[in-house]
Amino acid sequence: MGYLVSVMTFASIWAVLALSLNILTGYAGQVSLGHAAFFGIGAYTSALLAVKAGWSFWPAFVAAVLVTGICGALLGLPSLRVRHDFLVLATMGVNFVVVAVFKYVDFFGGALGIVGLQKPQIFGWTLRGWGFLALAVAYLLLTLWVSDYVRRTWAGLAFATVREDEDAAEAMGVSVPRFKIYAFAISAALAGGAGSLYAHFLGSIFPDHFAFVESIGIMSMVVFGGLGTLRGPVVGAFVLKILPEYLRVVGDYRYTLYGGVLVLMMLFQPQGILGDNSWLWKRLQALYARWRPGPQPRPTSRALSAANPGDDPAPASRSGRVNPGERTHESENS
Amino acid sequence: MTLWNILLDTLTQGSIYFLIAVGLTMVYGILKILHIAHAAVYTVGAGVGLAVFRLTGNFWAALAAAMVVSGAVGVLIYRGVYFYMLDQPRIVPLITSVGLFLLMQDLLQKPYLMGPYQHAFPAQDVFPSLTLPWGTVPSAQVMILVFTALTLGVLYGVFTRTRLGLAWQAAAMDRDMAGAVGVNLNRAIALNFLLGSALAGAAGVLVGVFYNSVYATMGDVPSYKAFVVIVLGGMGSVSGTVAASFLLALAETVLLSSVGYVLPRDAIAFLVLILVLMFRPQGLLGR
Amino acid sequence: MSPKTADVILETHRLSRHFGGLRAVDQVSFQVRQGEILGLIGPNGAGKTTVFNLISGFLKPTAGTIHFQGRPIHGLRPNAIARLGIGRTFQIVKPFSDLTVRENVLAGLGHDLYPTLRALREHYLRPDAVRRADRILEVVGLSEYADVRAGTLPIGLLRRLEIARALALEPVLLLLDESAAGLTHHEVEALGALVRGLRDQGITILLVEHNMRFAMGLCDRIIVLNQGRILAEGPPEAIQRNPKVIEAYLGHSGRVAHR
Repeated sequence: MGYLVSVMTFASIWAVLALSLNILTGYAGQVSLGHAAFFGIGAYTSALLAVKAGWSFWPAFVAAVLVTGICGALLGLPSLRVRHDFLVLATMGVNFVVVAVFKYVDFFGGALGIVGLQKPQIFGWTLRGWGFLALAVAYLLLTLWVSDYVRRTWAGLAFATVREDEDAAEAMGVSVPRFKIYAFAISAALAGGAGSLYAHFLGSIFPDHFAFVESIGIMSMVVFGGLGTLRGPVVGAFVLKILPEYLRVVGDYRYTLYGGVLVLMMLFQPQGILGDNSWLWKRLQALYARWRPGPQPRPTSRALSAANPGDDPAPASRSGRVNPGERTHESENS
Repeated sequence: MTLWNILLDTLTQGSIYFLIAVGLTMVYGILKILHIAHAAVYTVGAGVGLAVFRLTGNFWAALAAAMVVSGAVGVLIYRGVYFYMLDQPRIVPLITSVGLFLLMQDLLQKPYLMGPYQHAFPAQDVFPSLTLPWGTVPSAQVMILVFTALTLGVLYGVFTRTRLGLAWQAAAMDRDMAGAVGVNLNRAIALNFLLGSALAGAAGVLVGVFYNSVYATMGDVPSYKAFVVIVLGGMGSVSGTVAASFLLALAETVLLSSVGYVLPRDAIAFLVLILVLMFRPQGLLGR
Repeated sequence: MSPKTADVILETHRLSRHFGGLRAVDQVSFQVRQGEILGLIGPNGAGKTTVFNLISGFLKPTAGTIHFQGRPIHGLRPNAIARLGIGRTFQIVKPFSDLTVRENVLAGLGHDLYPTLRALREHYLRPDAVRRADRILEVVGLSEYADVRAGTLPIGLLRRLEIARALALEPVLLLLDESAAGLTHHEVEALGALVRGLRDQGITILLVEHNMRFAMGLCDRIIVLNQGRILAEGPPEAIQRNPKVIEAYLGHSGRVAHR
């Protein structure tokens, strides 16, 4: 039981990481392979404050979120100059430099890391086991709420315009640099909180916990589940984090799995297993539509499918689409 | 550190960077893919070379086997994976490439392949060491320099004298147009991967001998450095890559011998990369 | 030409943009007057789109100035210029493909909020914003596609979506970059009616056009660019008779005769 609780705690922390990367990559379209750097900055901030300054968990956690958010805004600066694959190179570089600083600067504990962190306390009661899991899940729920809230705001809409076309976004009055920095800051801040939880859960941290391969792992969770959705990164994180713990074979080949997932998803299902147009998600929606009594589940598709009611299994995908080659009414007269 | 040592170090390191980066440059030139998995191909080359060397004791057989197997792996990666994503946004093959790299490197670390250990590659005495008026060139360095000089000559010949070289240059300028005027693109690209990967495999063997050490994660550092090189060299230009390889090696050597050890060599290279990407995105040597 | 400063809303003064040795726009000075439809025409490579990109801030001038409502705007970023009330469309359409048509328009409606922290708090699917977006979609005739993903629209509708998005900025000045390109005869006529209607609502319009007949029939005034310089300026009838213009066109492609 204790093992399960600890695995679930890790999975919750990684779900937060996946969701936070999703804000940056899925919402704002900035592909980063350096997300573990933000995870690490949060963990080190929290750990250093606890060990060197004697802070308790709660203020250290808040500080980790804030510091990592600020670092995110700064480390997002390359995204203002470089795009696409060269941004990926730059974020990889950020990851290496950050880990090198942890490893080679004595202030950060060097290769020996930081040890001896206390578990958080609340009203004199120490959070461990189920208690810590509850804390991690609470933070996951908070992250889900933030992700959902951001997506519905004007900033969320601005992120989407930056992702889709930067020139058109500028023409709409969106300052592309401002919103890229927002995306980096929000994404990093959430990851920083995850780092703080991770540090205090383990009690000790080492530079290699935040290496480049971890960034790839987080990316593969987001890509596996479905970039841009809320369900995708959470499901991706839980599946890819829990599978290696319980299947011995998978556990030995954890990174082979992460790498293979990226390759296979890119080849066969780039939108992820639960992405909006993925095979599995369409099946699930069809099942849901059949089991659910009453009107169609989605209001937008209801309006459009009014003309052909009945057993259309995925109304949004069929009637909500105009054939690209289709001509408009005026042109048919000519 | 004497001037002679700085020169020798620069030439050796620069040669190593060049041998690894030239494959990446050629792939980027034609396909515009940042082929991160190239690093794993380099490690495969070192591993195969060592295995054959242990079996036969013959360095040349080891080098040949490494080049053949690495070249084959490179072509396989192209035909099996990238081939299907040529029309996708560039980010798709890039993420794929990262996945491939992680997958291959994790497999290489398994006990039935290389395991998590360093293996010695005792083939240092294949070449004689060279004594010049200014100092001595150890045999492993003679080997690297000779191989690099030969490679440069062959590449120059291929690029300027053969139809294949012309096809590569045409494809690098405009892939669709090259296809339209009758270049057999698939063959040209496959051969591009074959040659670039074979050179990476050879580099793996040479580096393994030079440091007398072969291990599963040996691809990490040089491959990331190779990106620094191709960015510095102006993205896809082979001559730029040659210049950038030696420039980076010179900068690192001079910096290390004068300033000493602040951050590891690799972190410096990456800081340079980030700064160059931000302030001269067309590369130091680009136009 | 004597400037009547009262009703001038946009003025360029010796505006130049060089690309290496090429003078894409060379010392171009002109004025846009309140409430007019001004056409910018010229052969391929005359510098029309470059002028648009300079006005909307996507390019920085090599030399010269641009004033909008008396305020210098050269050197501002495109988003700042857009928020001042200059809306533009793109010749090569740039829809937010993954968003619905309505969301594409909503993106423009947020222009006042983007620089403020309210952008991080306030939801964009507010009833008043949706109403305004739907009204704009009605004006351009895209109402029935409001919930469709923009990436699936045919080109004729995408050109209208470009205009709808620009209207969402509540522009004082609208820059239309070859909005008639690729449209059928009937679509072009509908576009002409739409543009006139917008002008009647008080929006000043500057348009780049390749389609001569369309530009001649629609514009109050026309400026002809050739090789980065102004060749002629005046009402359409005068432009059509201008020997320099006829020569420039026939010399280049003879497009006047065919369109």
